[in-house]
Amino acid sequence: MEVGSLHFHCRPIPWSPELRRRTKPTLRRFLFFFRASSSSSNSRADYKGPKPRRDWVADLVSNNDDAVRSLPIYVGGASLLAVLLNRTVSGIAPVADASSSQSRADLLALGLAVTNILTGLVWLSIRPKPISVVSPEGVECQRIYSHLPDSVSSELLWVWESLSDVTCCRTLIVVYDSHCILQIGFAAKSSIGDGEPVAVDAVKLMQGSLYQNVIKSGAQSYLANLSLYPGKSELPFLPSNTQAVILQPLGEKGVAIIGGDTIRGFTTSDQAWITLIGEKLDATIAKHVKDLTLSAQE
Amino acid sequence: MSNLLCSNPLIQFKMKIIPAQFPAKKSTMKPASISSRLQNSQTPSNQQLNLSVLRFTLGIPGLDESYLPRWIGYGFASLLILNHFVGSDSATTTPAQLRTEAIGLSLAAFSVLIPYLGKFLKGASATDKATIPEGTEQIFVMSQNILDTKKEDLAWATYILLRNTNTIAVLISVQGALCARGYWNIPEEASRKNLLEWFERQIERIGLKNLKDTLYFPQNSDSVLWELLPKGTRSLLVQPVLQVPKPGANQMEGIEGFVLLASSMGYAYGDRDKAWIGALANKFGG
Repeated sequence: MEVGSLHFHCRPIPWSPELRRRTKPTLRRFLFFFRASSSSSNSRADYKGPKPRRDWVADLVSNNDDAVRSLPIYVGGASLLAVLLNRTVSGIAPVADASSSQSRADLLALGLAVTNILTGLVWLSIRPKPISVVSPEGVECQRIYSHLPDSVSSELLWVWESLSDVTCCRTLIVVYDSHCILQIGFAAKSSIGDGEPVAVDAVKLMQGSLYQNVIKSGAQSYLANLSLYPGKSELPFLPSNTQAVILQPLGEKGVAIIGGDTIRGFTTSDQAWITLIGEKLDATIAKHVKDLTLSAQE
Repeated sequence: MSNLLCSNPLIQFKMKIIPAQFPAKKSTMKPASISSRLQNSQTPSNQQLNLSVLRFTLGIPGLDESYLPRWIGYGFASLLILNHFVGSDSATTTPAQLRTEAIGLSLAAFSVLIPYLGKFLKGASATDKATIPEGTEQIFVMSQNILDTKKEDLAWATYILLRNTNTIAVLISVQGALCARGYWNIPEEASRKNLLEWFERQIERIGLKNLKDTLYFPQNSDSVLWELLPKGTRSLLVQPVLQVPKPGANQMEGIEGFVLLASSMGYAYGDRDKAWIGALANKFGG
């Protein structure tokens, strides 16, 4: 049976199945309420399981990111001062020896305070740098090759919706078999003067070095900061201030060009998703490619 | 169809994704020397945060330095208590010492809390990898009485979810078709033929088919959430698949099904992951 055989041929899950026991206990255990929610009296059973509790600590920390980052410094510094104050107020000479138990306790508290201060400094130093979004200059367009079957065009539109919703993608162009079958999103305004979006010259693109390299290597190419690449001239249909571009080969015959509005805007997770989506797109289009060449001859 | 899916394992070798970490440790003779490690981690967020970070580590492989404050907190707290009882007689403890110990213990409690707070800061990367719990077996079952294109879609969707997120088990139920893949705890009495029926029964019992909102349980305690899930599930995400209302028609959003993802690590699904999973669910909803 076909489905059964897949189980044996393909074992794509890449992690190694070594077992590691979890040793650290979680500090907060969120309780789950196993109360049956009152189900309405329709024929299908309503969801009866537990509802997730709002994680207020996570929300608090994410919303006050800067304050939480410097919190350990304040806590450590305040405790340091408190320990020293305690020592002077109690009339003990500020000598750092471990002879009396008081001194030992002081030293331990000082050590903890220093740890906190260092942690706060580390957190401040690894604060991520926010990168601003650059609005693409151009006109919106939506061009789909007219002779595509419904399944292919709906798949292409789904890809565009997913990419534009989830990532910083603002332009999507799919070129397959010397035709541009999709140009959607922002495009550069044509200089001829009528303000129409620039069309994609698929043949010229396929002769360019960007396309050739991507097809030859068969791997995704991520141009994280497009302004640094001379190959930018091969993509005149993208808005001129496109910040990042991903070129995803679709099999051997096509490429998907994804333009984003932020430098280094595509994360590694995005890249992985785009790679696998590209393969699916290739499989879908390849099944219908005879329709493409036939209709082109019309 | 087998062409599509069997070529996928090869992609592991062809893909040249920019690696997330460039370990550049300077190894010296002393194992505990401080060395520097360049970490290029990219964080998911609406504002496209990105960072290249220089972090100091002790150079010991497998040691997670972000948990160091917790261990120091436990260690110093125990030393403080030891000092209180053993270091001197109880009769001679001064109020000053008690104050210092109070400050020390509260500091230790705060230090223990620090890794937990650090997990929610922007830029925190999950360093654990999903581990496979014991007693589970890898399965891949799918309803048979559906179109081939549907089968391909389901197989591809389960593959991509297992591959790209920290998921160990995935279950998709949409428009009457069911597909389960990954590491599940199968009870003894369910043979391979009855597996689909067993899943159906469990789903009916919980009532997942009528789910309207996304459920996300990021941190499961040791109590078993549902019998359906593999033991050792720490995070659970259930994404309903809603029917896209046709433009112009006056119909409510129907529920087509759901996508269930289980992971063996806590807080496994960040915002970006959830966005992608939602986009994938839309594929089945149209």
